[in-house]
Amino acid sequence: MRWLALVWKSLLRSRRRTLLIVGSLVLSVFTVAVLQSLLTTLDSITSNPNSGNRLAVRHKSGITQMLPRSYETFLRQQPEVETVCSLQWFGGYYQDPRNFFANFASDETTIFQTFREEFGLANLTEAQVKEYLRDGAGCIVGESLALKNGWKVGDVVPLTGTIFPINPRLTIRLIFKSSRPSDENVLHFHYKVLEEGVPRMKGLTGAFWVRVHRPEDIPRLIERVDRHFANSAYETLTETESAFNLAFVKMLGNISTIIQGITIAVVLAILIVTANTMGTAIRERGAEIAVFRAMGFSASRVLSLLLAEGVLLVGLGAALGLLLAQAAAGGVRSAMGAVMPFFADFEITSVTALLCLAGALAVGLLSTFIPAYAATRRPITEGLRSVG
Amino acid sequence: MNANRFDLGGGEPIITLRGIAKSYWREALEIPVLQGIDLEIPVGSFVALMGPSGSGKTTLLNLVAGIDRPTCGTLEVCGHELNDLDDDELAAWRNAHVGFIFQNYNLVPVLTAFENVELPLLLTSLGRRARRERVAEVLALVNLTDKQWNYPRQLSGGQEQRVAIARAIVTDPDILVADEPTGALDAKNAEEVLGLMGRLNADMGKTIVMVTHDPKAAHHARHQIHLEKGVLDRAVEVNR
Ligand SMILES: Nc1ncnc2c1ncn2[C@@H]1O[C@H](COP(=O)(O)OP(=O)(O)O)[C@@H](O)[C@H]1O
Ligand SMILES: [Mg+2]
Repeated sequence: MRWLALVWKSLLRSRRRTLLIVGSLVLSVFTVAVLQSLLTTLDSITSNPNSGNRLAVRHKSGITQMLPRSYETFLRQQPEVETVCSLQWFGGYYQDPRNFFANFASDETTIFQTFREEFGLANLTEAQVKEYLRDGAGCIVGESLALKNGWKVGDVVPLTGTIFPINPRLTIRLIFKSSRPSDENVLHFHYKVLEEGVPRMKGLTGAFWVRVHRPEDIPRLIERVDRHFANSAYETLTETESAFNLAFVKMLGNISTIIQGITIAVVLAILIVTANTMGTAIRERGAEIAVFRAMGFSASRVLSLLLAEGVLLVGLGAALGLLLAQAAAGGVRSAMGAVMPFFADFEITSVTALLCLAGALAVGLLSTFIPAYAATRRPITEGLRSVG
Repeated sequence: MNANRFDLGGGEPIITLRGIAKSYWREALEIPVLQGIDLEIPVGSFVALMGPSGSGKTTLLNLVAGIDRPTCGTLEVCGHELNDLDDDELAAWRNAHVGFIFQNYNLVPVLTAFENVELPLLLTSLGRRARRERVAEVLALVNLTDKQWNYPRQLSGGQEQRVAIARAIVTDPDILVADEPTGALDAKNAEEVLGLMGRLNADMGKTIVMVTHDPKAAHHARHQIHLEKGVLDRAVEVNR
């Protein structure tokens, strides 16, 4: 018998209790890991590393209001600006309304430059890009979206419009790879398809995406653009891409506060449950602890053994909970990734996993230490008298 | 000093108690449990500590075994002045010198008989193989080799107590302390356990101090010491 065997066997003393506590730990760690990962995912939308030099210009009165495409001329004239791209959320679906993914009508002439990181432009050949530019009914799709639907270059994708009354049939001209899976869950087609198919969209766009040369120029540019169009028929609201995305995410409510609140509640609940269980388990063993000490186990040795039990118990629960969360993350990716593109990035990051593990270990140590310390302070003779 | 009254025969004392007193306090009220205990127990003795319930037998045994400390007085056991040892040193001392046998066996329920016996050896420098050999040896001595993989709940009371005895002697201690070791056993099993203790004393030279209020059990000892209200009353040599 080794020390670990001793600790392990002690843990299995009351199987029902051990199972119960491991079970509640699994659930708690699972919940916290998934919720925290949700938060990380949402955070990553608002902090796209490629978004630092992009601005979104939209109508001051809201995302659904349109701006004249002619504004592009003024935007282009600004010395800070590198490219401008009209982008309109199309909101169509392929075959089944549930089979939903992000699709946009976008200015094909500037889309690659404006979002060159997302499209992995460096890996695309000029010929590939030209193929798309040449075909007005062409489209480009991300690789993971293509894989999911079994699409390849040359296939025709019929899209059914939901916001706009057109059902464009688009030929895939290019499949791109991106560094983030969420960026691959996207389809773009020529802006003309929207303008020509939907008369009320003629000369209008939902937003301009502006790429600047240097991020430092952004505040100045925002100020100038909005001032220029103030008091016109179409006033603008210019903001950074992060702020724009944040506005989008805010629709989900103050989710961050809710998640942190739930996390704290779960951690406190599990701390109380674990402390109570470990407390009972250790107090029941008063006589046994006294016997160990009579045999020559020092108080600190007994304390370490008890702490090892607590840590092993909690570590087990946490590890299982994380495994479960990891498995669930795959489900979330495939189920939600299509509805909200950023969920395609959903994963239990190693930071989240480590935090959960560290939190669980802290819970284990904290909940075990107090009763264990008290038990080893107790006189041996008293422990021996407590024999039932 | 009336040393004659507690003459346990010749031989080097392995346990020497001088002016031992022990009190408990309930709030400010002092409750004296042992008073003025002077006693020498020679190496190789088998002493039965007798007396009415509450007379302080367990308290005295615990002091000798180093799991309790006296209010005043000195104890020298196995060549160590116990007052000089701190708690950790005392724990190490117990592991090396004292084996414990309890009334209700106090085996660890989640460990097999073998593992229970091995427990005190985890604190020694013995390797796995040496530990296994030693455990097998003492289990054979208490005649339980065939039950070594049983858990305590799969053993009879008498078998459990023999496992406990194996655990008490596995580190080869000088002294065995037993508090009512047959208190929970029927007559037949009690006889067997007492016979075993007698052999440990006679054949292996273990010094045994056994608390009992059962005259039949006490008859297995070579000397009986009587405690009365925390004071040593008399010592009697057992005639066989
Ligand atoms: N922890 C304690 N606190 C107060 N009194 C105690 C404590 N332990 C023992 N006593 C008292 O000391 C006396 C002797 O106890 P004990 O040594 O167990 O007697 P015995 O073993 O002879 O029956 C008893 O009156 C008992 O109530
Ligand atoms: Mg007693």
